[in-house]
Amino acid sequence: MEKKFTSEKEWSVAMRINHWAMAISIFVLIVTGFYIAEPFTVSSGETVDKFLMGNIRYAHILFGVFLVFLFIWRVYLAFFSRFHADWKDFFAWADMKMTIDQIKFYLLIKKEGPEYKTLYGPMQSLAYIGLFFMVFVIVITGLILMGAGYHEGFTAVAYFILRPVEKMMGGLAVVRYVHHVFTWFFILFIVVHIYMAFWYDAILKKGTVSSMISGNIFKKAKE
Amino acid sequence: MAKGNNSEYRKTIDKQYKELMKHCQLHMEQVEKTLPESKEDLHGLLKERGLTRRDFVKWTSVMTAALMLPPIFKPMVAKAAENFSRIPVVWLHFAECTGCSEAFLRSSYPNVDDILLETISLEYHETLMAASGYQAEQNLEKAVKDFAGKFICVIEGALPRGLDGKYLTLGPKGKTGIEVAKEVASKAAAVICIGSCSAFGNIPAADPNPTDCVGIKKAIGVSTVNIAGCPPNAVNFTGTILHYLMFGALPALDNLGRPVWAYGKRIHDYCERRPHYDASEFVEEWGDESALKGWCLYKMGCKGPYTYANCGKVRFNGGISWPVMSGHGCIGCTEPDFWDTMAPLEKPLPDKTYGGGEKTVDNIGIALTGIAAAGIAAHAVASGIRHKGDK
Repeated sequence: MEKKFTSEKEWSVAMRINHWAMAISIFVLIVTGFYIAEPFTVSSGETVDKFLMGNIRYAHILFGVFLVFLFIWRVYLAFFSRFHADWKDFFAWADMKMTIDQIKFYLLIKKEGPEYKTLYGPMQSLAYIGLFFMVFVIVITGLILMGAGYHEGFTAVAYFILRPVEKMMGGLAVVRYVHHVFTWFFILFIVVHIYMAFWYDAILKKGTVSSMISGNIFKKAKE
Repeated sequence: MAKGNNSEYRKTIDKQYKELMKHCQLHMEQVEKTLPESKEDLHGLLKERGLTRRDFVKWTSVMTAALMLPPIFKPMVAKAAENFSRIPVVWLHFAECTGCSEAFLRSSYPNVDDILLETISLEYHETLMAASGYQAEQNLEKAVKDFAGKFICVIEGALPRGLDGKYLTLGPKGKTGIEVAKEVASKAAAVICIGSCSAFGNIPAADPNPTDCVGIKKAIGVSTVNIAGCPPNAVNFTGTILHYLMFGALPALDNLGRPVWAYGKRIHDYCERRPHYDASEFVEEWGDESALKGWCLYKMGCKGPYTYANCGKVRFNGGISWPVMSGHGCIGCTEPDFWDTMAPLEKPLPDKTYGGGEKTVDNIGIALTGIAAAGIAAHAVASGIRHKGDK
């Protein structure tokens, strides 16, 4: 039987580790974040034996700091990755005709999507720019909220720099509110992101889902 | 910091404090020479009110510590307190409720701070003065002229800018608040804003702010010391004046103009209920079992985590209590625009509603996620039909 597909490397090891580490961090942060926003009371037992909120805040802050560095790492990779520095691919949406074709493909008006040479599709690149912005905002607001309570080391430095931002935003209450609202943007992003990965897998049969694990994607072999 | 044991570090600190002490002593001598004689004898007044010398000494210790000074400064604090009434003060009222003055004046068991405030050399105070009309106006002009560059201008209340400031006019000449504030503040040695109204606009400036009220700094463009709070603690005001008397300079301020010694730390970090927060022990309803046990008020909308102030340390009414201690959460009154940003005051922040009803962020978020999920399901089915048989 003739070979119909070729396997090509799409994601470097660094990209894949970064992706899954971010995914885990964001998942932990959403769960712990909702507990901090709307905690339930632990009624039984003595106060001295309980430390649930303390532990959950510890986890939240720990993974929050992970997210800060994963974000910095991802931005670094976008510019300096030796495998594929993909910062230009985030502007695939600039080609308007292609973007419109892509929307038609998603809305099932067209049966074939446009052929793009960039790593990300037009709509995908737009979504990822949004994600970059979301991570940036949540990381900055998170550092302000963390700095308000911890006054040493990395946090103290970050807070010293970010205090004017806190003032500009209108105080800690606003910062905390924005932090909460952006959590919902993450949830909406995740729902659509996961669905689109599976959808591509089902429609184009390129192995999109497994590519983020194996690093390889299938491409139809040229005749 | 772990530098406490470092003897080299200790030495520098000691040296710095000694220099500061010298500066303080010189400045106090200067004050005694240049400023008018005290009108009131503090110790006589204290005795009259049933406060002993021991109470006074205790108070100096507290105040020295509150100002973040080492114990060697206690005699200087006492001396500054004795000279407290030498500083001429002009006290202006603008758009506000006079609650700050009331809070300072009406303590049932006055402590040293309250009595100190009574000794203050008030040249002009709209609520307390006997004069009225043109006479009052003359008093103000005289005070501003006689003590130009020496008096402290204390301002209570925001300034409305709407209608060219005519939402607020004062006195027989019908001057606008902005005019009065500019005139007086330009001659003052320092401008101290008492209360969140003069500091940040506060309730007069709350949304929709029909009179376009703003804080003093924004209204007339002078730098101010903001003793924020609604009302603020008398200690924060007396401490700031004592600092000014002792060192001839205003205390270090944060980026909102509040003295760092009083507003440098969060309510939440010094709260006596904080251990209950970390232990996940929350009051769920007013007066429930948890409330009786004194658990954390976070779920009842306590704004302590977003508020910088020393209420939990210095407390109110002679150190008897403060809001969180009495069982209601902090409402964040020392923060700018607290009336808007902290609302709803008795619910956690994410429970802020939009357009009435139950439209909170979480409910909107759940609805949007639901819509997205439904859209995905429909898209999946449609895709299955459209792309059937694709290869």
